[in-house]
Amino acid sequence: MKCPEKYIAYMHEYLDEEISKEDALELKAHLIKCGDCHRHFQELEKSLALVKSVAHISAPDDFTMRVMNALPKEKKKVGVQR
Amino acid sequence: MDAIIKKRIKQVLKGDQNAYAEIVELYKDKVYQLCYRMLGNRHEAEDMAQEAFIRAYVNIASFNIELKFSTWLYRIATNLCIDRIRKKKPDYYLDAEVSGTDGLTMYSQIPSDTRLPEDEVENMELQDIIQREISNLPEKYRSVIVLKYIEELSLNEISEILDMPLGTVKTRIHRGREALRHQLRNV
Repeated sequence: MKCPEKYIAYMHEYLDEEISKEDALELKAHLIKCGDCHRHFQELEKSLALVKSVAHISAPDDFTMRVMNALPKEKKKVGVQR
Repeated sequence: MDAIIKKRIKQVLKGDQNAYAEIVELYKDKVYQLCYRMLGNRHEAEDMAQEAFIRAYVNIASFNIELKFSTWLYRIATNLCIDRIRKKKPDYYLDAEVSGTDGLTMYSQIPSDTRLPEDEVENMELQDIIQREISNLPEKYRSVIVLKYIEELSLNEISEILDMPLGTVKTRIHRGREALRHQLRNV
């Protein structure tokens, strides 16, 4: 790796929306010049877009009913019936 | 929503079990989704999500009503999933045989009996690939990635859910993102 590690750190700060304005400008200038880092950044963004794209799935229709039926009853039967 | 939840929790505390149904309704999809993305299996996700709601109910007296209920609930669900992942570590890899299924691998557990239009099949495949790669993340990265990018929670909330310093959460998210980059760049 010929590029300073700080650019990778900047990428993550950018993705966390915690990068300073100066660092963001420095990163941007670097990405224009450096193909490797540009690719790295695009791969990060792509993988996150893919993860976010997985369709939101819903719980099964009878989920609530099943939870409610599985709750311990307020007045439990004590002991085991023989 | 917080006001409704608080009201329902108070009713539950007074012994009105039915008030809990509304709480379950409000959070069931998010908790189920969290469990599914953590475990990669619908059946297990259902069990864990159900268990999370039961545990929350049983322990509701210990919940501090001034705090956010969803954070507490997610913490219960996440911990249950993490425990489950740690327990089943040996067959955590996709090519591994699922115990007691006579040579079935986890690949073959993806239901294939329903016929779908071709474009939907393609879509399904991409979804499966993404879920597989989420499942391939080590558990400590998987939980932060799922909470951040599937449940869309803030870093602060994730730090509360996982009971982990913010700095640790950030480090894990960074490493998780790098791992995902390696796994998904050629998709």
